[in-house]
Amino acid sequence: MNGFLEYVPGDSLLHRLNPVTKIVFAVVFAISCFCTSNLIFLAVLLAAAIGLAASCGMLKQTAGLMKAVFAFSIILAVLLLLTNPSGDVLVELPWGYIGTGSIMAAVATILRLEAAAIPLFLTFYVTKMTDMSNAAVKVLHVPYKYAFTFASTVHFIPVFMNDMRSIMEAQTARGVEFDQGGIVNKVRLMVPLCVPLLVSSVRKTNSAAIAAEVRGFDLRTRESGYKTYPFTAADLAVIVLAVAILVAAIIVP
Amino acid sequence: MIEFRDVKASYDKDIQVLDGVSFTIQDGEFVAFVGTNGAGKSTTMRLMNGLLKPDAGQVLLDGVPTTELKTSQVAKRVGFLFQNPDSQICSGTVREELMFGFKALGESGPEVEARVDGVIREFGFNPDDDPFLLNRGTRQLLALASIVVLAPPVIILDEPTTGLDYKECKKVMDIISRLHEAGTTIVMVCHDMEVVADFAKRVIVMTAGRVVDDGPTFEVLRNPQTLTRASLIPPQVVDISIALPLMDERLAASPVAFANTLDEMQAAVVEEVGE
Repeated sequence: MNGFLEYVPGDSLLHRLNPVTKIVFAVVFAISCFCTSNLIFLAVLLAAAIGLAASCGMLKQTAGLMKAVFAFSIILAVLLLLTNPSGDVLVELPWGYIGTGSIMAAVATILRLEAAAIPLFLTFYVTKMTDMSNAAVKVLHVPYKYAFTFASTVHFIPVFMNDMRSIMEAQTARGVEFDQGGIVNKVRLMVPLCVPLLVSSVRKTNSAAIAAEVRGFDLRTRESGYKTYPFTAADLAVIVLAVAILVAAIIVP
Repeated sequence: MIEFRDVKASYDKDIQVLDGVSFTIQDGEFVAFVGTNGAGKSTTMRLMNGLLKPDAGQVLLDGVPTTELKTSQVAKRVGFLFQNPDSQICSGTVREELMFGFKALGESGPEVEARVDGVIREFGFNPDDDPFLLNRGTRQLLALASIVVLAPPVIILDEPTTGLDYKECKKVMDIISRLHEAGTTIVMVCHDMEVVADFAKRVIVMTAGRVVDDGPTFEVLRNPQTLTRASLIPPQVVDISIALPLMDERLAASPVAFANTLDEMQAAVVEEVGE
């Protein structure tokens, strides 16, 4: 079973693309989502993103991601509803009103965040982290220490999630009821757990840094990696498609 | 009393971790679970205190299925010492750490204060020390103390001596031994057969999610089939007492062949040499 942001092996087109192409496409796609407020265009982008997930067999992971993003985006949407009075008045508020424009902006926010997040997360599921950092070094000439820092950060996310699970389990064994009460109670119970998580994170990061240094981390250069990452016709086509989506997002009213 | 009835458990539907495990642990016992990594020992411990629910079968705590008990109800009866104390410690001072369990259970008052003070004295802690600045052995002792202070009738120890030096290991095990003598049921997962032989009265051997042997410590540790099946190396004294009769048949009936502890072996050797 694969964890959060862990590579899932496969042979889909997305899997086979150059890692740099995947990063560029995901970033440009996300920017496109923020360049338009057209609901239909955003819905098409979201459908395209879900289609991408289906093409590489990641629908299950994508559904989980969409659920998490929805929970976050709904908070932003509510804030927008309450603080962005525009369009025809639907509900009067003491400090303004909720209008048709407010609802459109709220829906656009949800669609935008969902659509933008999917390709970014898919990139991690269809690309080995070593390929991603090595390609960034080889193709984009990113200094290895920066690529390694990024790769390590992503690598540590599931590790820290696992640590948090262990810490919560240890506190549950001492009688802490995380599953009781509302969200405020949960936050109150979880705040003290940040201390052991922080301590274990610092210890792990320090150990990883020492381990990297004793294995000659400083000696690594762009030429150290033996694997090359050539661009194919498919890569060029995908980049052209990304640019076309961005242009469309800008010009669509 | 803890009872497992044909328990099956898994973390992922495709991977069965426990496959029909049954046993009963009576009040006041000192039981060690041994076996290779991945045998299902830690999963068994997690089932015992309700952190994990069985897929099939029942885990009964004093006759009540753990599925029917709330976390806090289980926590009052079963204390759990994790292998890594850093998962458990979350307070700014030793005293606050010892109070944490009581707060979680909604208990306070002079009696609680007195119990915390008593444990601080017994373990020799400085109550104002920062737990995260203590060394590994002392943090493990603090994690144990934070369980002991709640005085649960059952304490589960998941590899309590891992990463400790001999002195720290002895201190931890001496405290556990005292708790057992005072009537606490001790259930321990341990890879160190010397520790198992020195302290446990009963051993349950697990392999591939099943119990393959269960009995008095030295009966299990002298069983060649069990040792082979679970890839166990018996304690040195037991190993020697098994090996000597194989090297010289005349020793098969000698007390040397039945010695389990260093004292027994010394007495047996003296007797043998004397003859």
